[in-house]
Amino acid sequence: MSRTKIVKAKDPMQAVDALYAAGPSGTTVAAAQSRLRAALRAQAPQVYYDVLPRSTLGAVYLAAGPDGLLAVGLATNEPGFVRRVARRTGAMPVRSTERLRHARQQVDEYLRGKRSAMQIDVDLSQVTPFQRAVLEAARRIPRGTVITYGEMAARLRRPRAGRAVGQALAHNPVPILVPCHRVVSSGGELRGYLGDRIGLKARLLKLEGVPMLGNRCRIAGRSGAGR
Amino acid sequence: MPDPTFEALVERHSAEIYAYLWRLLGDPELASDCLQDTFLRALRAFPRLRHHEHLRAWLYTIAMHRARTLLRQRARHESRQRELTDELADPHASVGQRVAERETRRRVRAAVGRLPPRQREALILRRYQGLSYAEIAAIAGGTAAAARTNVHLAQERLRIWLRPEVGDAV
Repeated sequence: MSRTKIVKAKDPMQAVDALYAAGPSGTTVAAAQSRLRAALRAQAPQVYYDVLPRSTLGAVYLAAGPDGLLAVGLATNEPGFVRRVARRTGAMPVRSTERLRHARQQVDEYLRGKRSAMQIDVDLSQVTPFQRAVLEAARRIPRGTVITYGEMAARLRRPRAGRAVGQALAHNPVPILVPCHRVVSSGGELRGYLGDRIGLKARLLKLEGVPMLGNRCRIAGRSGAGR
Repeated sequence: MPDPTFEALVERHSAEIYAYLWRLLGDPELASDCLQDTFLRALRAFPRLRHHEHLRAWLYTIAMHRARTLLRQRARHESRQRELTDELADPHASVGQRVAERETRRRVRAAVGRLPPRQREALILRRYQGLSYAEIAAIAGGTAAAARTNVHLAQERLRIWLRPEVGDAV
């Protein structure tokens, strides 16, 4: 009598599991991760940030890249500031007290009225040429004085560009350092600062000794507050 | 809660995404290239990302699309799969055993490679990456029911294609 060997056929999926279930070895994963980290490091320029937690303007966030300070955040919070800097620079900023120590100290002293000028490199490479011209012009306005949007447009030899000047200043990435707060509307009225934070603009101007009357200030060379 | 930074994202998910690509592409080097490609794309898109709740699924989706593109580009893909199968080979097996095992792995690999992309992706995500059907739907698009069907069809096809030939079972 012949004996029949009955073998239960294996589920073919077992062969698939044998190949796929275990996954890559720890060494293979570690090598791939190490290559990934190197690729990411090479890709992103390093940007650092820190915060001056309690200033007269509230928390002031500062971010700097290799070429200088590239963002100042007022009336914001840490995630909001980090997201904004990342969007603009394409690099995820890393918090570093050490790298921002110099800038933070100067901004702190300035806002406490203990310093009248700051020596901090500013990186304006991320803005358009017109905006850069406007921001550079704003940097030349001396502390304690204000000019109007129209006057700034005239200085830039674009007398009809008052509104565009206003827009360029409204998107100033480095307020305080580029003193866009020293530019006001024709009547001396403080219009627009980081949206509607007129109070911050007034505080900065007061700090710099600009005579204020409510939300109006005296424009150099004119008599009386406002009109 | 501060935004999860991109570095944290890399540390948290890169091993898992790599394992997925390793399984999907069948080539450790190609999977490593694709991992870099995936995270570099993610890095560029990350600052514009509004919702940070589904980062894992988002990374899987990028990886899946990059892998599809790579597979299309790599006509020589088949010949490169040897690397992965060699990594899995048992060093203590006899020469005969090793030849047989290699042949099995080649057949399995070829069968999985023959699956339509959606079925292959769903099978790997469900059976080997341990994701739920709802998660697969979030990654690949479509519904959880469609993901379940894709996994089922993939297994059914593999069982047919890899059925032991006459005489093999004994």
